[in-house]
Amino acid sequence: MKVVKILERVLTTIPIMFGVAIIVFFFVRLTPGDPVDIMLGRSGAVTAEELDQLRHQFRLDKPLEVQLWYFLSDAVRGNLGYSYVRNKSVVDLIAERLPATIEMTLGALLVSLIIALPIGIFSAVRQNSLLDRSSMAGAFLGISMPSFWLGIILILIFAVRLHWLPAQSRLSYDVQLREVTGLYVLDSLLTRNMPALVDSLKHLVLPSITLGAGVAGIVARVLRSSMLEVLRSDYIKLARAKGATEWQVVMKHALRNALIPTVTVVGLQVGVLLGGNMIVESVFSWPGLGRLVVDAIFNRDFPLIQGSVMIYAITFVLVNLVVDIMYTYLNPRITL
Amino acid sequence: MAVQATHPIKSGWYHTWTIRLRLWWRGLVELGYELWQRPIVLFGGIVVVAYLLAAVFAEQVTAHSPARGSLLLRFQPPAWEAGGEWAYPLGTDDQGRDLLTRIIFGARVSLAVGLLSVGISVVVGTALGAAAGYYRGWLDEILSRFSDLLLAFPFLIFAIGVMAFLGPGFANLILALAFKGWVEFFRLARGEMLAERTKEYVDAARVAGLGHVSIIASEILPNIIQSVFVLSTLRLGSMIIMEASLSFLGLGIQPPTPAWGSMVAVGRDYLLTAWWVSTFPGLAILLLVMAINVFGEGLRDILDPRLKIE
Amino acid sequence: MNHVRIRPVSRTNRLAVTGIVLIGLVLAACAPAATPTSAPAAPAAPAQPTSPPQVIVVSPTPAPGRTTLVVALARAPQTLDPADHRHRETETVIRDMYDGLVTRDTKSGVHLELAESYKWLDDKTLEFKLRKGVKFHDGSEMKADDVVFTFDRITKANAIESPQAHTSPRKGLIEPLTSIEKTDDYTVVMHFKAAWPVAMQMIVHQQIVSKAYVEKVGTKGLVEKPMGTGPFKFVSAKTGLEEIVLERFDDYYGGAPDLKPVGKPCAPRAVFRVIPETSTRVAALLAGEVDIISEVPAEMVAMLQKVPGMQVKTVAGTRPLWLEMNVKQAPFDDVRVRQAMNYAVDKDLITKKVFNGLAQPLAGPLSPLNNFADPSLKPYAYGKDKALALLTEAGWTKDASGVLTKDGKPFSFVIDAGETTRSLAEALAGLYRDVGMDATVRVWEYNVLQPKLLAGERQAYVGDWGDSAFDPVGHMEAKWSSYKQGSTYGRGNFSGYSNARVDELILKGETEIDETKRHAIYNEAQKLIYDEAPAVFLVLPEAIEAASARVQNWEPASDSRENLHDVCLK
Repeated sequence: MKVVKILERVLTTIPIMFGVAIIVFFFVRLTPGDPVDIMLGRSGAVTAEELDQLRHQFRLDKPLEVQLWYFLSDAVRGNLGYSYVRNKSVVDLIAERLPATIEMTLGALLVSLIIALPIGIFSAVRQNSLLDRSSMAGAFLGISMPSFWLGIILILIFAVRLHWLPAQSRLSYDVQLREVTGLYVLDSLLTRNMPALVDSLKHLVLPSITLGAGVAGIVARVLRSSMLEVLRSDYIKLARAKGATEWQVVMKHALRNALIPTVTVVGLQVGVLLGGNMIVESVFSWPGLGRLVVDAIFNRDFPLIQGSVMIYAITFVLVNLVVDIMYTYLNPRITL
Repeated sequence: MAVQATHPIKSGWYHTWTIRLRLWWRGLVELGYELWQRPIVLFGGIVVVAYLLAAVFAEQVTAHSPARGSLLLRFQPPAWEAGGEWAYPLGTDDQGRDLLTRIIFGARVSLAVGLLSVGISVVVGTALGAAAGYYRGWLDEILSRFSDLLLAFPFLIFAIGVMAFLGPGFANLILALAFKGWVEFFRLARGEMLAERTKEYVDAARVAGLGHVSIIASEILPNIIQSVFVLSTLRLGSMIIMEASLSFLGLGIQPPTPAWGSMVAVGRDYLLTAWWVSTFPGLAILLLVMAINVFGEGLRDILDPRLKIE
Repeated sequence: MNHVRIRPVSRTNRLAVTGIVLIGLVLAACAPAATPTSAPAAPAAPAQPTSPPQVIVVSPTPAPGRTTLVVALARAPQTLDPADHRHRETETVIRDMYDGLVTRDTKSGVHLELAESYKWLDDKTLEFKLRKGVKFHDGSEMKADDVVFTFDRITKANAIESPQAHTSPRKGLIEPLTSIEKTDDYTVVMHFKAAWPVAMQMIVHQQIVSKAYVEKVGTKGLVEKPMGTGPFKFVSAKTGLEEIVLERFDDYYGGAPDLKPVGKPCAPRAVFRVIPETSTRVAALLAGEVDIISEVPAEMVAMLQKVPGMQVKTVAGTRPLWLEMNVKQAPFDDVRVRQAMNYAVDKDLITKKVFNGLAQPLAGPLSPLNNFADPSLKPYAYGKDKALALLTEAGWTKDASGVLTKDGKPFSFVIDAGETTRSLAEALAGLYRDVGMDATVRVWEYNVLQPKLLAGERQAYVGDWGDSAFDPVGHMEAKWSSYKQGSTYGRGNFSGYSNARVDELILKGETEIDETKRHAIYNEAQKLIYDEAPAVFLVLPEAIEAASARVQNWEPASDSRENLHDVCLK
């Protein structure tokens, strides 16, 4: 039964994907800036024939409907096109960068949960105390400043002044690591490479904090308010009446239910983070999807832009589906 | 035995809203009391008001011009550092303009960006959400699918696309922000509407003969407004920060108009030498956004009837 | 709303917070109040000297241990194929793996590299004798076949087959080359369509690939695993060429004999890292993570010089800056106005303040370091009065509020800039506002702006144009000759300037071999452009690079190349 429901959900995502595909297709073609001009503008002397030849290669000389047809029919077969600028297929380019973005997302998620869970729980339990107000204010610190500013300041403190952590990239150059999944921390564990494990973790810390600080605030807020609601509910009173300790009440009973809306928000944030964060990636020279996509936009690299947005949309929708499935496990009364 | 009304149930806009006004006044007094109980939240509110006042009375409070500077005064450090002077308390930027003045004038732009983009998002999102939630049917289907679509679009890419299409500038920036922002309010309003419309007072209103729009506007909306209001205070902060992100990409407010986001973005190249150019506007954003969040969160606590039972 | 009393905040908590709030308010009230004046006054210039920029105190570079030399680039290379790009950073990395027939030293003199000698057989024919025993990284010997193959690959249409067949973008750099052939295994002969005075300078920019290798692995293989004759051989590259690892080539023939030291490179390994964010790049240098960085902003020089052992070196810049005005539209269609625009700019102030003294004023369309710059031309001197006099002559007078107007319309224009020239554009706008013009700045994405500039849709643009050959060819025809679509002529001409005599002179100078005659030709062209002032001739900033204390034998090069051959890490 559940499987059927899941399949139903997956099917409803298809029209969304089509919608996204069509929107992005027209979007990129309507923004000013011609990709062929931009590419060849770099080369200097270009003859009109070369311009035409390139346009023909990119199918830009065909009417819009034809281009759209090519795009969609290729896309459903898994071919997202070939980048105009980078001489590689879009799928390859994204696959290269995806592990880096996944790693940073997971790191940010971990950091945000480490910050947000304790804060959310204790703020709710000790509502309106100074601890509550100030820790919520602290949690908001993360979403209250531009990420690039936080990132550069962290670099200045931890890399330049203290020399504790590296300022950029994913791995030091003199560290060897055999890539299995592309997630360096995981790969170091799989290949039992201790120096690489330490090194990749060190590189992950600052970007994760920079990104995670933002997510932490949101998660803490949601967790706190849902905890507050749950703690007021009848069945918590029942649990207390039955003699459960405060710890059990909070952690076993209340938290379980409070996690439901929290999980939704976390899922949403993960979906956003997986799209890559161009700004944090720029500051830390992290080779992820964010920079890839923004470069593509500035180069008007249509296939790469289209492909990336499609991948992002699919990821987002899938993550939300996973979240909804998790819902049903957290609270059996909620059906898909 | 049927209960007979002793006097006719008056309804209609005027009556409803004068009663509401009186209730609101009482509510405000209670609100003030509640705020007094929560000093940090109150402090947050004071900070927000202070920023608003600074934005409105910028000319009166500052001594220098925000847009004109002298190259000879480039990168003066803040007054308490060596080489600084009290005429320029927070130092000067790369064009020799007084930073404090620019921060105060920047409040205008940043607050305007925040308020307008959130305002438009709220109005459009709430109206559409309420309509979708109330009427259901094809209207709901189309709007919901469309909002899902927009949600699946990464914001920065969307914003870059919109700005590239429309060109940089204040109005286009707000448009870009609002275009993505309304979705959240749509979902919120729709969700709340779905919950509310099944309640008894809606049936009562219908029995009393009110039309659909009347019902939505005078009965249901006031109940939804609270959560919309609190969400909007939270979004205000993030819109202001979005402006900074877009400035990072070169799509923000054009020079020489001071806006905190572009000041932080432009100043980041000087963080190692003239750190004040980026840091103080950043602190201005930080303080305001935190104050908004703390105040908004506090308001939510106060206003949410479900949290009242001890 | 109904409510039940919530748990009250404890007394101590409330007192504490109230106290904090009160203290805050008191402090705010006591802070020196800015006295409100009715009109915001333009700030008076203080007599005190400028304060030293903040210093980030850092510990000296961490203890040595790393033997790999790390260079941080501001942009990622686009490819590793020597023939498939037009990009400085790409060439920088490639030239450490590939050698060319000739090379440049840091002062831009040309020296023999893979070629042992050369001889002009006549005005249009050039013979190179190749060095013997030069090995490619795979052990094969470089011979004339490889040289012919390399140049054919660049000049023939659609010679690069991957990903789709296309012509090398570098073809335009050796446009006059019509054919090349080998006469024996170590001799090649090049034929040009006309006399080409800058031939040697331009041949520097092409590097030799192995014919056998490219034919075997194709362009795709060449890009994935580059193979040249250079001092370093390719080890690996990360996604998007963000990190490129090179290793010393032990069988390196030694390099250009003129450029000491000759022999294997000093560093056993070298890594190019891409760090696009300026602050991060400098931070990485300060933290000891990288050894050499390029593109140091002028503001950071003083701070870096204070770090013990840090080497900050400048080198003659190759990117002169101009403010080009649209000569086809008012207000810039009047030459007096354009000259006034020149007089209104205090180049000394700009040099001192915007470039921290690390720039020199331009005296015309050519960089002062160009071999053919006219020494008799002096930069437009700063003179507000002179500027105003010219403007009055052209019909512009100040109205009641001090803004220049003519026929009721104010003198207003927009200065377009890219992100990198934003600060300069704002400074210029400020200077022009001082004279009474209504100048504003708009920052653009260059890609979107460039076609608009060529179409004549904008008013003023501040930008640079590379002049790394120090010869007018490759620069003058792009910038100052009339724009012809589809050709190299005028492709950088954003002012719409068009002078038939200048066009003629530029063409003549391209094919004139005699130096004296070339000087005469270019002097005349420069004077014309100077007088007609289609642009405000601004400054030539110096290129600034920095290296940590451990780096030895390093000099930045004016063509932005990072030549790692001689560099040692202590």
